[in-house]
Amino acid sequence: MGRSKAFIRKNRAFTVFLVLALGLVAVAIFAPLIAPKDPYAAILADAVQPPSGEHWFGTDKMGRDLFSRVIYGARTSLTASLLLVLVIMTLGTFLGLVAGYLGGFVDGVIMRISDMMLSFPGMVLALAVAGILGANMTNAVIALSLVSWTKYARLSRSLVLKMKSRDYMAAARLTGSKASHILWSYLLPNVLPTALITGATDIGSMMLEIAGLSFLGFGAQAPTAEWGLMLNEGRAYMTAAPWLMVFPGLAVFITVAVFNLLGDSLRDVLDPRS
Amino acid sequence: MCPMKKLLTMGLAVCMVIFQTACSGSGTGENPGEEAANASVEGNGGKHLNFSCYNYSNSMDPVTNVNSSWCGVRYGVMECLFRFNENVEVETALCDSYETADFKTWILHIREGVRFSNGNMVTPAVVKESLDRLYQAEADKTGNSTPSQYVTFESIAADDQAGTVTLVCTNVTPNLPGILAYPWYAVVDTRVIDTQVVGTGPYYVTRLEENSTIDFAKNPYYWDGEVPYDTYRAYLTTDDQGTAKAMALQSGDVDLVENVVTASDLEAFRKDPAYYVSTTAGVRLGNTYFNYHGVLENEALRQAIQYAVDDETLCQVTVAGLYTAGCSVLPSSLPYGYEKLTDPFTFQVDKAKEVLDAAGIVDGDGDGYRELQGQPIDLNYLAYSSRNLTDFAQAVAISLEAIGIKCTVTVQDYDTALANQSNGNFDLITSNATVVPTGDPTGFLGNFYSGNSQAYGYYANAAYDAAYEELLGVTDRERQQELILLLQQILIDDAATLVHGYYNSTMVSAVDRVTGADIAPMDYYWITTNIAPAQ
Repeated sequence: MGRSKAFIRKNRAFTVFLVLALGLVAVAIFAPLIAPKDPYAAILADAVQPPSGEHWFGTDKMGRDLFSRVIYGARTSLTASLLLVLVIMTLGTFLGLVAGYLGGFVDGVIMRISDMMLSFPGMVLALAVAGILGANMTNAVIALSLVSWTKYARLSRSLVLKMKSRDYMAAARLTGSKASHILWSYLLPNVLPTALITGATDIGSMMLEIAGLSFLGFGAQAPTAEWGLMLNEGRAYMTAAPWLMVFPGLAVFITVAVFNLLGDSLRDVLDPRS
Repeated sequence: MCPMKKLLTMGLAVCMVIFQTACSGSGTGENPGEEAANASVEGNGGKHLNFSCYNYSNSMDPVTNVNSSWCGVRYGVMECLFRFNENVEVETALCDSYETADFKTWILHIREGVRFSNGNMVTPAVVKESLDRLYQAEADKTGNSTPSQYVTFESIAADDQAGTVTLVCTNVTPNLPGILAYPWYAVVDTRVIDTQVVGTGPYYVTRLEENSTIDFAKNPYYWDGEVPYDTYRAYLTTDDQGTAKAMALQSGDVDLVENVVTASDLEAFRKDPAYYVSTTAGVRLGNTYFNYHGVLENEALRQAIQYAVDDETLCQVTVAGLYTAGCSVLPSSLPYGYEKLTDPFTFQVDKAKEVLDAAGIVDGDGDGYRELQGQPIDLNYLAYSSRNLTDFAQAVAISLEAIGIKCTVTVQDYDTALANQSNGNFDLITSNATVVPTGDPTGFLGNFYSGNSQAYGYYANAAYDAAYEELLGVTDRERQQELILLLQQILIDDAATLVHGYYNSTMVSAVDRVTGADIAPMDYYWITTNIAPAQ
């Protein structure tokens, strides 16, 4: 208890943003308890109603309760973003570790693929991949995964290259440790904090990219409650019914800001230099 | 400032002006008087109109494709031998009279004294050459327009002495004047066609910046009354939501826009007395086709869908009046006996459920959705983004959900959706089409004729086929009307297609700057001489 208090006192910013992020996750988990209405229940005759006591955020063009849809949107957006970050972090870190440790031909192949991916603007490549695979949320996550893993691979590779020449690595090799053991027990623990910090900072930007794909019609499809898609649906009503864009936009803004700040403060916590 | 510096400054200024002039966009002037017209577009005090519209094509040549031919007529550059009035009745235009004894051989008298905008005379020989060019382009595939879709000719002969063109149709063609009013058949000056596309309309092109702006000037030789504007500029957009057009009008950048398709923008214009919104029940049908080679072969299922969908709410609320609700494939505004039709499937959710229950289409596994013969139903509903069709698809899916029918909407681009339609990869597909492009619904009704290889959704009904075959040969106007009425009723009774409504074309103008900006029911008329500066 005493240690927790000390940690909180020492890392106030991190604690605040962690609580806020957990709050957002709680909103996603407990959406059915928080949302007053079914986000997919439509009353066509009640379309585009302004915010009121009955509908706090108004209704969308199909007469669905916008507040409930924004709340449920947290589920879709957060799940997709967290899944995406998990996939690219795992894949990128693993490939970077392997490339850095084995070097030679394997390193050359992995890094050239990485260079190829980096030679295109990420979003454009993601649009192309999502376009080819077909427009849905799963394919949007796959498309973004394919173009976003390179950062983690390059990061972990560079860390491994730095560590490879250390004495403890030489000792591990001398005592006959297998490559898998060295990777798992010596290299990964050293790479993981940096990868985790990068991953935490990436949640916000990945959320924006997923929302961007949905906004452009390559991600979530109607009637899914997803913030990017809701922004796109509200676009046509921008002047006459601005609430259709304002509330999903605010949801994206708040969530991205919280996760970005959480990432920054996590770096402060984990960075040994601080 | 010393004289030397002054001189240097003046010299630099002159150089800049020359440089700027030289670098300004390369115009693709269509007529010799281009430079003079450019000057007036820049604002020399003449009457000028700023118009914003969706960019369908950068060409106005009738042979290029449908969109280019429509653009020529829409911009007031091209004219046909005939034209449609506001009641969709065909009238004479470049042809001032005609005669036919058998609806196969037609003698058209070409109006005397009409000139193209370059001053060249419109003669029967030029009319013949214009038609020959159109069909030749189709035959040798140098153009994508398909004029033979509506009529083919055994011969076309011009008699400049008599001032007539004699057209011998391959088949009996009672609606030839209506067909010749279609933009494909616009008359171009074939003497200069290798370098310019010149028509007889009230305006001609002086400068064209592809996908950006087109400048027009008054045709000094126009034959049909005074041309109100000296110049006009069309600002082209590719924003299919139309929001950019609406904002341009609100900011005062343009005076006139066509077809504001965003319901909320349109509503705002209607409420604001500073704007005049002209709306007309157009000739476009918004509907959803059923695929008879799938679960929708089941009549009870089709009937339940008809009962479950409240087209009135869809048209009035979901798309905010951009469509007028209806039950027939032919719009209620057209003279095809809509008021005599009976719709047995008016909106009744309980009735929809009753029909499904009676047919044994029930939720057997308790998942909230009904099954057909034990198999789960998940209707594959294709939609493409055009004139609010995706809104209709979503609203229909929501309506079907209410009666326990699962329906997945997939939005595709137009070409992909059409390819899937051709291959039968759909259960339902949205559509928006002009049903009387030539003033006659026969061609459109052919989409339900089982003998048509391109029939939509594989619909087949022997009584429909017999009536349609009779319609193809009949020349008696009264019998035509009877048959058209019968065909409509058969489609309604068969629940053959889900009709949402009829698209209302709109034109919005700033009342302090423009008058007479009324939209025509025929979608290919925009800029006419009726549109004039406000007094």
